[in-house]
Amino acid sequence: MRLTLNQRLGLAAVALGALAVFADVDRGPVLAFHEKDLLATIQQEADHVAPSELAAWIIEGRRDYRLLDLRDEKAYGEYHVPTAESVPIEALRDAVLLPNEKVVLYSDGGIHAAQAWMLLRARGHRAAYTLRGGLDAWKEAVLFPAAPADPRAVAVATFFGGAPRGGASGPAPALQAPALPKVEAAPPPRAGAAPARRKKEGC
Amino acid sequence: MSAPFFKYGLFGEETSLIVAFAIGIGFGFFLERAGFGSARKLVSQFYLDDLAVFKVMFTAIVTAMLGVTYLAWLGWLDLSLVYKTPTYWVAQLVGGLVLGAGFVVGGYCPGTSVAAAATGRLDGLSYLLGVGAGTLLFAGAFPAIKGLYYAGEMGVQTLPGVLHLPYGLVVFAVVLMAVGGFAGATWVEHRRAATHEEE
Repeated sequence: MRLTLNQRLGLAAVALGALAVFADVDRGPVLAFHEKDLLATIQQEADHVAPSELAAWIIEGRRDYRLLDLRDEKAYGEYHVPTAESVPIEALRDAVLLPNEKVVLYSDGGIHAAQAWMLLRARGHRAAYTLRGGLDAWKEAVLFPAAPADPRAVAVATFFGGAPRGGASGPAPALQAPALPKVEAAPPPRAGAAPARRKKEGC
Repeated sequence: MSAPFFKYGLFGEETSLIVAFAIGIGFGFFLERAGFGSARKLVSQFYLDDLAVFKVMFTAIVTAMLGVTYLAWLGWLDLSLVYKTPTYWVAQLVGGLVLGAGFVVGGYCPGTSVAAAATGRLDGLSYLLGVGAGTLLFAGAFPAIKGLYYAGEMGVQTLPGVLHLPYGLVVFAVVLMAVGGFAGATWVEHRRAATHEEE
Protein backbone atom coordinates (compact mmCIF):
# COMPACT_ATOMS: atom_id res chain seq x y z
CA MET A 1 0.00 0.00 0.00
CA ARG A 2 1.42 3.33 -1.03
CA LEU A 3 1.02 6.09 1.54
CA THR A 4 0.03 9.60 0.51
CA LEU A 5 2.18 12.56 1.56
CA ASN A 6 -0.39 13.52 4.21
CA GLN A 7 -0.37 10.03 5.64
CA ARG A 8 3.42 10.00 5.76
CA LEU A 9 3.48 13.37 7.51
CA GLY A 10 0.88 12.07 9.97
CA LEU A 11 3.03 9.03 10.71
CA ALA A 12 6.07 11.28 11.22
CA ALA A 13 4.06 13.38 13.70
CA VAL A 14 3.02 10.23 15.58
CA ALA A 15 6.65 9.06 15.72
CA LEU A 16 7.85 12.45 16.97
CA GLY A 17 4.99 12.53 19.49
CA ALA A 18 5.85 9.04 20.76
CA LEU A 19 9.48 10.06 21.21
CA ALA A 20 8.34 13.24 22.99
CA VAL A 21 6.93 11.06 25.79
CA PHE A 22 10.51 10.80 26.99
CA ALA A 23 11.20 14.51 26.58
CA ASP A 24 12.80 16.08 29.60
CA VAL A 25 11.47 19.59 29.21
CA ASP A 26 13.42 21.98 31.38
CA ARG A 27 11.04 24.37 33.08
CA GLY A 28 13.82 26.84 33.79
CA PRO A 29 15.15 27.91 37.16
CA VAL A 30 11.84 28.90 38.71
CA LEU A 31 12.21 29.94 42.34
CA ALA A 32 9.58 29.77 45.05
CA PHE A 33 9.14 31.40 48.44
CA HIS A 34 7.51 30.26 51.61
CA GLU A 35 5.24 33.28 51.81
CA LYS A 36 4.52 33.32 55.56
CA ASP A 37 8.14 32.70 56.45
CA LEU A 38 9.26 35.50 54.19
CA LEU A 39 6.68 37.96 55.51
CA ALA A 40 7.57 37.10 59.12
CA THR A 41 11.26 37.74 58.44
CA ILE A 42 10.46 41.07 56.82
CA GLN A 43 8.10 42.09 59.62
CA GLN A 44 10.59 41.17 62.35
CA GLU A 45 13.22 43.17 60.45
CA ALA A 46 15.47 40.16 60.79
CA ASP A 47 16.75 40.81 57.29
CA HIS A 48 18.80 43.95 57.99
CA VAL A 49 22.15 44.91 59.33
CA ALA A 50 22.44 48.54 60.45
CA PRO A 51 25.41 50.52 59.10
CA SER A 52 26.75 51.05 62.65
CA GLU A 53 26.53 47.32 63.26
CA LEU A 54 28.44 46.54 60.08
CA ALA A 55 31.04 49.18 60.98
CA ALA A 56 31.52 47.47 64.34
CA TRP A 57 31.97 44.08 62.64
CA ILE A 58 34.61 45.50 60.33
CA ILE A 59 36.47 47.23 63.15
CA GLU A 60 36.37 44.03 65.21
CA GLY A 61 37.80 42.22 62.21
CA ARG A 62 35.02 39.66 62.17
CA ARG A 63 35.30 37.11 59.42
CA ASP A 64 32.06 35.20 59.87
CA TYR A 65 30.23 37.01 57.08
CA ARG A 66 30.67 38.02 53.46
CA LEU A 67 29.87 41.52 52.33
CA LEU A 68 28.70 41.72 48.71
CA ASP A 69 28.69 44.98 46.75
CA LEU A 70 25.96 44.57 44.12
CA ARG A 71 26.81 47.71 42.12
CA ASP A 72 28.75 47.57 38.89
CA GLU A 73 32.51 47.22 38.95
CA LYS A 74 33.10 50.88 38.11
CA ALA A 75 31.12 52.05 41.11
CA TYR A 76 32.88 49.44 43.22
CA GLY A 77 36.23 50.74 42.01
CA GLU A 78 35.34 54.29 43.00
CA TYR A 79 34.31 53.41 46.51
CA HIS A 80 33.16 50.39 48.43
CA VAL A 81 32.75 49.46 52.04
CA PRO A 82 35.99 47.90 53.25
CA THR A 83 36.03 44.07 53.08
CA ALA A 84 33.29 44.09 50.40
CA GLU A 85 33.56 41.84 47.36
CA SER A 86 32.28 43.01 44.02
CA VAL A 87 29.36 40.86 42.87
CA PRO A 88 27.30 42.91 40.39
CA ILE A 89 23.67 41.91 40.78
CA GLU A 90 23.57 40.20 37.38
CA ALA A 91 26.46 37.98 38.51
CA LEU A 92 24.70 36.94 41.71
CA ARG A 93 23.38 33.83 40.02
CA ASP A 94 26.90 32.56 39.48
CA ALA A 95 28.21 33.58 42.90
CA VAL A 96 29.29 30.57 44.94
CA LEU A 97 27.82 30.89 48.41
CA LEU A 98 28.01 28.23 51.07
CA PRO A 99 24.57 27.22 52.34
CA ASN A 100 24.81 28.76 55.82
CA GLU A 101 27.24 31.54 55.04
CA LYS A 102 26.14 34.88 56.43
CA VAL A 103 25.88 37.25 53.49
CA VAL A 104 25.34 41.00 53.74
CA LEU A 105 24.20 42.66 50.54
CA TYR A 106 24.34 46.30 49.66
CA SER A 107 23.73 48.60 46.72
CA ASP A 108 23.44 52.38 46.51
CA GLY A 109 19.97 52.56 47.99
CA GLY A 110 18.08 49.59 49.26
CA ILE A 111 16.22 48.30 46.23
CA HIS A 112 18.79 46.18 44.41
CA ALA A 113 19.95 44.72 47.71
CA ALA A 114 16.36 43.83 48.65
CA GLN A 115 15.79 42.24 45.25
CA ALA A 116 19.00 40.24 45.57
CA TRP A 117 17.93 39.25 49.09
CA MET A 118 14.66 37.88 47.72
CA LEU A 119 16.57 35.88 45.10
CA LEU A 120 18.91 34.40 47.68
CA ARG A 121 16.02 33.56 50.01
CA ALA A 122 14.18 31.89 47.17
CA ARG A 123 17.30 29.85 46.51
CA GLY A 124 17.06 28.65 50.09
CA HIS A 125 19.87 30.82 51.41
CA ARG A 126 18.55 31.80 54.83
CA ALA A 127 21.51 33.73 56.22
CA ALA A 128 21.11 36.67 53.85
CA TYR A 129 20.90 40.26 55.09
CA THR A 130 20.84 43.69 53.55
CA LEU A 131 22.69 46.75 54.74
CA ARG A 132 19.86 48.97 55.94
CA GLY A 133 19.63 51.97 53.65
CA GLY A 134 22.48 50.74 51.47
CA LEU A 135 25.62 52.68 50.71
CA ASP A 136 23.73 55.97 51.07
CA ALA A 137 23.00 55.18 54.71
CA TRP A 138 26.56 53.94 55.21
CA LYS A 139 27.90 57.31 54.08
CA GLU A 140 25.41 59.21 56.16
CA ALA A 141 25.68 57.20 59.35
CA VAL A 142 29.27 56.00 59.36
CA LEU A 143 31.47 57.99 57.02
CA PHE A 144 30.04 61.47 57.38
CA PRO A 145 27.79 61.50 60.45
CA ALA A 146 26.04 64.80 61.09
CA ALA A 147 27.76 66.62 63.96
CA PRO A 148 28.02 63.67 66.32
CA ALA A 149 28.01 64.36 70.02
CA ASP A 150 29.41 60.90 70.53
CA PRO A 151 33.21 60.87 70.23
CA ARG A 152 32.97 57.20 69.33
CA ALA A 153 31.13 58.10 66.13
CA VAL A 154 33.94 60.49 65.26
CA ALA A 155 36.43 57.71 65.84
CA VAL A 156 34.44 55.31 63.68
CA ALA A 157 34.15 57.90 60.89
CA THR A 158 37.87 58.55 61.07
CA PHE A 159 38.58 54.83 61.05
CA PHE A 160 36.80 54.50 57.73
CA GLY A 161 38.47 57.61 56.30
CA GLY A 162 35.43 59.85 56.68
CA ALA A 163 34.77 62.87 58.86
CA PRO A 164 31.77 64.23 60.72
CA ARG A 165 29.86 66.95 58.98
CA GLY A 166 29.87 70.37 60.66
CA GLY A 167 26.87 72.30 61.99
CA ALA A 168 25.37 71.21 65.27
CA SER A 169 21.77 71.91 64.34
CA GLY A 170 19.47 71.74 61.39
CA PRO A 171 18.82 68.94 58.97
CA ALA A 172 21.72 67.07 57.51
CA PRO A 173 22.84 68.59 54.20
CA ALA A 174 22.61 66.64 51.01
CA LEU A 175 25.35 64.10 50.97
CA GLN A 176 27.63 64.93 48.13
CA ALA A 177 30.09 67.43 49.46
CA PRO A 178 32.51 65.16 51.30
CA ALA A 179 34.96 63.38 49.05
CA LEU A 180 34.86 59.67 49.46
CA PRO A 181 37.89 58.16 51.10
CA LYS A 182 40.10 55.94 48.99
CA VAL A 183 39.71 52.36 49.99
CA GLU A 184 42.89 50.38 49.90
CA ALA A 185 41.23 47.19 48.92
CA ALA A 186 41.98 45.08 45.94
CA PRO A 187 39.99 45.55 42.76
CA PRO A 188 37.12 43.15 42.26
CA PRO A 189 38.25 39.58 41.90
CA ARG A 190 38.45 38.43 38.33
CA ALA A 191 38.64 35.00 36.92
CA GLY A 192 42.22 34.00 36.37
CA ALA A 193 43.68 36.74 38.53
CA ALA A 194 45.19 35.79 41.86
CA PRO A 195 42.99 36.92 44.74
CA ALA A 196 44.64 39.96 46.25
CA ARG A 197 42.46 40.05 49.31
CA ARG A 198 42.21 37.54 52.08
CA LYS A 199 40.09 34.72 50.93
CA LYS A 200 36.88 34.07 52.76
CA GLU A 201 36.74 30.44 53.62
CA GLY A 202 33.20 30.45 54.92
CA CYS A 203 32.53 28.31 57.95
CA MET B 1 22.03 31.34 23.52
CA SER B 2 18.55 30.39 24.50
CA ALA B 3 15.02 31.39 23.54
CA PRO B 4 12.67 33.21 24.01
CA PHE B 5 15.01 35.80 22.47
CA PHE B 6 12.88 38.81 23.36
CA LYS B 7 12.59 37.88 27.03
CA TYR B 8 16.33 37.31 27.24
CA GLY B 9 16.89 40.76 25.77
CA LEU B 10 18.53 39.56 22.55
CA PHE B 11 16.49 42.13 20.68
CA GLY B 12 14.38 45.06 21.76
CA GLU B 13 10.92 46.43 21.07
CA GLU B 14 11.74 47.77 17.59
CA THR B 15 13.30 44.55 16.34
CA SER B 16 10.40 42.60 17.81
CA LEU B 17 8.08 44.63 15.57
CA ILE B 18 10.14 43.63 12.53
CA VAL B 19 10.04 39.99 13.63
CA ALA B 20 6.27 40.24 14.14
CA PHE B 21 5.94 41.76 10.66
CA ALA B 22 7.90 38.91 9.06
CA ILE B 23 5.87 36.29 10.92
CA GLY B 24 2.66 38.11 9.98
CA ILE B 25 3.63 38.02 6.29
CA GLY B 26 4.22 34.28 6.57
CA PHE B 27 0.93 33.76 8.40
CA GLY B 28 -1.04 35.73 5.84
CA PHE B 29 0.72 33.96 2.96
CA PHE B 30 -0.19 30.51 4.23
CA LEU B 31 -3.76 31.51 5.10
CA GLU B 32 -4.21 32.68 1.54
CA ARG B 33 -2.43 29.65 0.05
CA ALA B 34 -4.72 27.35 2.09
CA GLY B 35 -7.67 29.09 0.49
CA PHE B 36 -8.71 30.77 3.71
CA GLY B 37 -9.19 34.13 2.03
CA SER B 38 -12.48 32.76 0.74
CA ALA B 39 -15.54 32.86 2.98
CA ARG B 40 -17.05 29.95 1.01
CA LYS B 41 -14.10 27.71 1.85
CA LEU B 42 -14.19 28.74 5.51
CA VAL B 43 -17.93 28.34 5.99
CA SER B 44 -18.06 24.96 4.26
CA GLN B 45 -16.40 23.50 7.34
CA PHE B 46 -19.58 24.24 9.29
CA TYR B 47 -21.54 22.17 6.76
CA LEU B 48 -18.87 19.43 7.13
CA ASP B 49 -18.22 19.62 3.36
CA ASP B 50 -14.60 20.77 3.63
CA LEU B 51 -12.72 20.45 6.91
CA ALA B 52 -9.53 22.12 5.65
CA VAL B 53 -9.73 24.77 8.38
CA PHE B 54 -9.79 22.15 11.08
CA LYS B 55 -6.93 20.25 9.44
CA VAL B 56 -4.75 23.29 8.80
CA MET B 57 -5.24 24.76 12.27
CA PHE B 58 -4.70 21.44 14.05
CA THR B 59 -1.62 20.79 11.88
CA ALA B 60 -0.24 24.18 12.89
CA ILE B 61 -0.92 23.41 16.56
CA VAL B 62 0.76 19.99 16.39
CA THR B 63 3.74 21.31 14.40
CA ALA B 64 4.27 24.18 16.84
CA MET B 65 3.81 21.89 19.83
CA LEU B 66 6.34 19.34 18.57
CA GLY B 67 8.68 22.19 17.62
CA VAL B 68 8.70 23.84 21.05
CA THR B 69 8.86 20.45 22.78
CA TYR B 70 11.99 19.42 20.89
CA LEU B 71 13.57 22.88 21.20
CA ALA B 72 12.97 22.76 24.96
CA TRP B 73 14.30 19.20 25.10
CA LEU B 74 17.47 20.34 23.35
CA GLY B 75 17.73 23.16 25.86
CA TRP B 76 17.30 25.89 23.24
CA LEU B 77 13.99 27.18 24.58
CA ASP B 78 12.88 27.86 28.13
CA LEU B 79 9.22 26.87 28.02
CA SER B 80 8.48 28.47 31.38
CA LEU B 81 9.19 31.87 29.82
CA VAL B 82 6.84 31.41 26.88
CA TYR B 83 3.73 33.53 27.43
CA LYS B 84 0.59 31.57 28.21
CA THR B 85 -2.82 33.18 28.15
CA PRO B 86 -4.58 32.93 31.50
CA THR B 87 -7.84 31.02 31.58
CA TYR B 88 -11.11 32.88 32.23
CA TRP B 89 -13.41 30.00 31.44
CA VAL B 90 -16.74 31.87 31.55
CA ALA B 91 -15.44 34.82 29.53
CA GLN B 92 -13.74 32.52 27.02
CA LEU B 93 -16.83 30.35 26.68
CA VAL B 94 -18.99 33.38 25.93
CA GLY B 95 -16.31 34.87 23.67
CA GLY B 96 -15.93 31.58 21.82
CA LEU B 97 -19.66 31.40 21.18
CA VAL B 98 -19.73 34.99 19.91
CA LEU B 99 -16.72 34.38 17.66
CA GLY B 100 -18.19 31.10 16.39
CA ALA B 101 -21.54 32.71 15.60
CA GLY B 102 -19.76 35.57 13.84
CA PHE B 103 -17.64 33.08 11.91
CA VAL B 104 -20.70 31.19 10.63
CA VAL B 105 -22.64 34.34 9.75
CA GLY B 106 -19.80 36.47 8.38
CA GLY B 107 -17.70 33.73 6.87
CA TYR B 108 -14.41 34.84 8.41
CA CYS B 109 -12.48 34.88 11.63
CA PRO B 110 -10.45 38.02 12.37
CA GLY B 111 -7.19 36.78 10.81
CA THR B 112 -8.74 35.38 7.67
CA SER B 113 -10.76 38.59 7.18
CA VAL B 114 -7.47 40.50 6.99
CA ALA B 115 -6.15 38.00 4.42
CA ALA B 116 -9.41 38.33 2.44
CA ALA B 117 -9.34 42.15 2.58
CA ALA B 118 -5.70 42.15 1.44
CA THR B 119 -6.67 40.20 -1.71
CA GLY B 120 -9.35 42.79 -2.44
CA ARG B 121 -12.43 40.88 -1.37
CA LEU B 122 -15.14 43.33 -0.40
CA ASP B 123 -16.79 40.96 2.07
CA GLY B 124 -13.41 40.64 3.83
CA LEU B 125 -13.07 44.41 3.89
CA SER B 126 -16.54 44.97 5.32
CA TYR B 127 -15.88 42.22 7.90
CA LEU B 128 -12.66 44.02 8.86
CA LEU B 129 -14.55 47.31 9.28
CA GLY B 130 -16.99 45.43 11.49
CA VAL B 131 -14.08 44.12 13.57
CA GLY B 132 -12.86 47.71 14.02
CA ALA B 133 -16.31 48.99 14.94
CA GLY B 134 -16.84 46.09 17.34
CA THR B 135 -13.52 46.81 19.00
CA LEU B 136 -14.51 50.43 19.54
CA LEU B 137 -17.90 49.35 20.86
CA PHE B 138 -16.23 46.92 23.22
CA ALA B 139 -13.84 49.59 24.49
CA GLY B 140 -16.74 51.98 25.10
CA ALA B 141 -18.84 49.37 26.84
CA PHE B 142 -15.95 47.92 28.82
CA PRO B 143 -16.91 49.43 32.22
CA ALA B 144 -20.33 47.79 31.92
CA ILE B 145 -19.04 44.36 30.88
CA LYS B 146 -15.89 44.26 32.98
CA GLY B 147 -17.40 41.58 35.22
CA LEU B 148 -17.91 39.26 32.27
CA TYR B 149 -14.44 40.03 30.91
CA TYR B 150 -12.81 38.61 34.06
CA ALA B 151 -15.42 35.92 34.79
CA GLY B 152 -14.21 32.44 35.64
CA GLU B 153 -10.60 33.36 36.32
CA MET B 154 -8.38 30.32 36.80
CA GLY B 155 -4.91 31.75 36.20
CA VAL B 156 -2.56 30.11 33.71
CA GLN B 157 -3.65 26.53 33.15
CA THR B 158 -1.93 23.90 31.06
CA LEU B 159 -3.10 20.41 30.12
CA PRO B 160 -0.24 18.64 31.91
CA GLY B 161 -1.02 20.71 35.04
CA VAL B 162 -4.77 20.13 34.99
CA LEU B 163 -4.52 16.42 34.09
CA HIS B 164 -1.50 15.77 36.37
CA LEU B 165 0.20 13.98 33.50
CA PRO B 166 3.81 14.22 32.28
CA TYR B 167 4.33 16.87 29.63
CA GLY B 168 5.59 14.43 26.98
CA LEU B 169 2.62 12.13 27.43
CA VAL B 170 0.18 15.00 26.81
CA VAL B 171 2.15 15.93 23.68
CA PHE B 172 1.81 12.37 22.38
CA ALA B 173 -1.90 12.29 23.24
CA VAL B 174 -2.52 15.57 21.37
CA VAL B 175 -0.66 14.21 18.31
CA LEU B 176 -2.78 11.04 18.37
CA MET B 177 -5.89 13.18 18.77
CA ALA B 178 -4.88 15.27 15.75
CA VAL B 179 -4.05 12.30 13.53
CA GLY B 180 -7.31 10.60 14.57
CA GLY B 181 -9.12 13.88 13.91
CA PHE B 182 -7.59 14.16 10.41
CA ALA B 183 -8.64 10.60 9.55
CA GLY B 184 -12.12 11.26 10.94
CA ALA B 185 -12.40 14.58 9.09
CA THR B 186 -11.37 12.97 5.79
CA TRP B 187 -13.95 10.20 6.33
CA VAL B 188 -16.65 12.81 7.05
CA GLU B 189 -15.70 14.76 3.89
CA HIS B 190 -15.95 11.63 1.75
CA ARG B 191 -19.31 10.78 3.30
CA ARG B 192 -20.62 14.29 2.56
CA ALA B 193 -19.31 14.19 -1.00
CA ALA B 194 -21.09 10.85 -1.54
CA THR B 195 -24.31 12.26 -0.09
CA HIS B 196 -24.11 15.28 -2.40
CA GLU B 197 -23.65 12.99 -5.42
CA GLU B 198 -26.72 10.98 -4.44
CA GLU B 199 -28.73 14.16 -4.23
